[in-house]
Amino acid sequence: MTPTQPPAPAAVDPIPEPAPGRRPGELVFNIAILLASLFLLYSAYGISGFEALSAPGAVPMATTAIMSVCAIIILRDSLRKRSDTAQTVGRDILPLSVIVTIAMIAGYALALRPLGFLPTSVLFLLIMARFLSKRSWGFCLAVSVGTVLVIWIIFRLIFSVLMPQGIVPEGRIISAISSLF
Amino acid sequence: MQNLFYGAALALGLATTPALAEYPERDIQGIIQWGAGGSTDTVSRSLTPHAEKILGASVILQNVTGGVGAIGLNQAERADADGYTLLFGAENPLLYKIMGLGDKDYADFVPINIIARGIPILVAQPDAPFDTFPEMIAYINENPGEVRFGSTGPGGLPSVVTAMINAKTPIDVTSVPYDGDGPALTALQGGAVDVMPAVLGAALEPVRAGNLKAIAIFDTQAVEQLPDTPAITDTNPEFADVLPWGPFFGVFVKAGTPDDVVAKLTDAYAQATQNADFLSMMDGRGFRMLSLSGAEAQEFLDTWQRQTAWTLFDAGIAKNSPEDFGIARP
Amino acid sequence: MDIISNLLIPIVNLDLLLLIAVGTFAGIYVGAIPGLSVTMAVSILISFTFSWEVYPALALMIGIYMGGVYGGSRTAILLNIPGAPSAIATALDGFPMAQQGRAGEAIGIVTVVSFIGGFLGIIALALFAPFLSDFAIGFQPRDFMLLAIMGILLVGSLSGDSLVKGVFAGALGIGIGAVGMDPLTVQDRFVFGIPDLRGGISFVAVMIGLFGVSETLAQLHSIHTPAVRQKITNIVPSWAKVRKHLPLGLQTSTIGTVVGALPGTGGDIAALMAYDHAQRVTRNPEVPFGKGAIEGLVAPETANNAAVGGAFIPMMTLGIPGDAVTAIMIGALFIHGLNPGPMLMIEQPDMFWFIVSSLTLANIFMLIFGLTGIRLFVRIVELPRTVLLPVIMVLSIVGAYAINNSVTDVYWMLGFGVLGYFMRLYGYPLAPIILGVILSRLLDDNWRRAIISERDDFGAMMMGIFTSPLSLSLFLAVVLIVATSTPWWKRWRARKAGVVASQGQKP
Repeated sequence: MTPTQPPAPAAVDPIPEPAPGRRPGELVFNIAILLASLFLLYSAYGISGFEALSAPGAVPMATTAIMSVCAIIILRDSLRKRSDTAQTVGRDILPLSVIVTIAMIAGYALALRPLGFLPTSVLFLLIMARFLSKRSWGFCLAVSVGTVLVIWIIFRLIFSVLMPQGIVPEGRIISAISSLF
Repeated sequence: MQNLFYGAALALGLATTPALAEYPERDIQGIIQWGAGGSTDTVSRSLTPHAEKILGASVILQNVTGGVGAIGLNQAERADADGYTLLFGAENPLLYKIMGLGDKDYADFVPINIIARGIPILVAQPDAPFDTFPEMIAYINENPGEVRFGSTGPGGLPSVVTAMINAKTPIDVTSVPYDGDGPALTALQGGAVDVMPAVLGAALEPVRAGNLKAIAIFDTQAVEQLPDTPAITDTNPEFADVLPWGPFFGVFVKAGTPDDVVAKLTDAYAQATQNADFLSMMDGRGFRMLSLSGAEAQEFLDTWQRQTAWTLFDAGIAKNSPEDFGIARP
Repeated sequence: MDIISNLLIPIVNLDLLLLIAVGTFAGIYVGAIPGLSVTMAVSILISFTFSWEVYPALALMIGIYMGGVYGGSRTAILLNIPGAPSAIATALDGFPMAQQGRAGEAIGIVTVVSFIGGFLGIIALALFAPFLSDFAIGFQPRDFMLLAIMGILLVGSLSGDSLVKGVFAGALGIGIGAVGMDPLTVQDRFVFGIPDLRGGISFVAVMIGLFGVSETLAQLHSIHTPAVRQKITNIVPSWAKVRKHLPLGLQTSTIGTVVGALPGTGGDIAALMAYDHAQRVTRNPEVPFGKGAIEGLVAPETANNAAVGGAFIPMMTLGIPGDAVTAIMIGALFIHGLNPGPMLMIEQPDMFWFIVSSLTLANIFMLIFGLTGIRLFVRIVELPRTVLLPVIMVLSIVGAYAINNSVTDVYWMLGFGVLGYFMRLYGYPLAPIILGVILSRLLDDNWRRAIISERDDFGAMMMGIFTSPLSLSLFLAVVLIVATSTPWWKRWRARKAGVVASQGQKP
């Protein structure tokens, strides 16, 4: 530490500082970042090569080159750190709840078109709320139906954002509602 | 599952219409190829309310931008051919194939209405050392490479007009690309470029205020909005064989849409384009009304594509030869 | 006399007054919900107000605009999901405050300074519009390029502990911004033959992913710890507190007005530049930046609301939009039979004063609606996380989908959410990515325009920079920022300070 650096903030900070040691998976992530940077640099070179300063590939090449250099330095620094043995991948990096959530969002995106917005969202919220809160099914169903209804009214009715209707004949319901007035 | 929902809806008395009800039985989605506030957007949004009244259904308009309009076009093409997805587009898709921007264009759509055409105009900074087109050409030839032309990228109106000029009198200018004619005209007023081939509507107000100087109307006849500006064919009659030419706006549905639906939409939009308010707005923005439909519209599209594609190809701007796509030389 | 009667139009007509109020109220929610943007709402209003007179139509749009720019701060503070790009900088210090139970205090100060910023922007519009528009339109591509470089240098102040990781993140952002078909050359960049990538990666999807999704994933770790109790006293800031930050607010409002008036740059860039400015000029913040500094809220929120008045400057004087929303309003004026352009101010000065007056009213309504209902809002943070997190996820997904009606954007949101989650875990700062994405096109396009204008002659471009007073000042500002962030400079400053301090201790 150089003497010019300010003293570390006091312990009131609610976000824990990153552990001084190397976290599990950090090395793998930094290697992946370096490989991705090099691949993007190669891809940027393919845009227009060293054709001209004004070529469309000039700025992409410069930025991906910076990314690659930074990624090398980051990897070097993380190699110098000692591995933190107190942490594990399963508990501190990818606990089950995180994996399930990522899979659920991907599932939502997959089901959105065929199933439609209303059923997909109700199902998603129902399962997620039940999985995370372990409250009763009735409570979770009430929360999910209520939330989806509010979102649907704001987005579809007020702001005319067309969500995929899927298996629910939404367009007919709306024209029926509007024909009532 | 599907029947269950229909059944439930029927039981609730919500779905009052039978399955094969008359089109349109629900809201129609309209995809605008270009961003909010642009010409295509303004024209689409001011025309559609008139058509909605005739159709008796609302058209929910949405801007789907990117890829010179290709993202919006592809989205409209992926939808069902049932007339519930309309595409509001400009001229650009007719050049996608030769510019290598995609394999879909208006050949995959049926034109409902080709609404109007823009008129190109050459504008310059007010203190430019030339006032007419021949003077401008002379000045460019005396100062090769010095004059900066505003451009909107290959395939845009400025690139086509510049290519047309080049085909008659080769000129050495520097083209500076912008994101659209709005930003390029702003740059012209700020002195970053010297000359700009633009669409009349976008340049009209700064010209009237004296912030820009009109050099020539790039058309076969002068326009009433700027009576003192000559048509290019007045000074250079050799341009008569490539003119009139200009960007256009149209409404399209996917090919394969049932004929009665196409007929209904065509009728609604044809009536809408006759609305007096709409006509006066189009006139104020310097557009020439076309309101073409059916075979006439198709003929217009084909001619436009042949002429522009070959102009760009001969100028060396196009990536692919029009011949590869069966576009015959005009 | 005419001016006063025109200024009074929206005040004496109750229906106009009501429309401005309704618009402002709706705007706050449009701004707060990620995925609903002011641009989208105003576009919809064009069709909705089609058959109206021009004054009521504009009144509603102006209300939405003013409210929307402010509303983005709500979700930024409460959930760390900026409701709009211009509220990104607000999340940096606002969310830490919410985590400390000070969400109400944060929203209160943000509301008041947004009002001050908005008001200063309107004054600039009313008094200096012709002068400022001449200045703004004179910006050449090289000046925009230098402005973008100045912006990129903010990476230094957004990086937190690791500058290398910050630089990496900033470069990644610029790269993300370059994805898609380059509009200047129609050349594909980083498209890899995927047609959907031609249109580029939606910026809002990246933002929702990096902030919203990665935040929810990170919070899953501590899902069963009870939510922080929010203090609901101190919501309306004291005059002493406002006065303390007023000098900074004046400076950042100026930044906001000028950046807003430049065609092609808006409140998002203004807010980030203001945040950086605050970090530079604030000697001793009570709380460090990034941990809940009030200055970190004052700067971006004054700037983005000042940018609203700024954006109207080129629109009213020249018919040139200052940002996306004013571009749509110009379209609306056309549809209503007006011809927005340089002649509008001369032919219809009433329109100018009507807009000034409507903006002022919208600003006042923003203050009123902003300060009421805060107590209710902060309760959101106190909801059990097991229920709140799934709801935030659905809102994020719907928001990402609504940008372009496209599932692809949902995948991008998820992808950047996961990437952001890992970057967080391994100590990478995320804000520089967003900064890079925002500035990517400004930097890339204007660099190319600047060098193309000189026929690829780098020397000629530098000559252009040295011979124009505006370019030269921007260039010197860039040099100064770089110089003051080098370790040598910091060591020199520290030594000097040390000498002064030790001299002071001498008897």
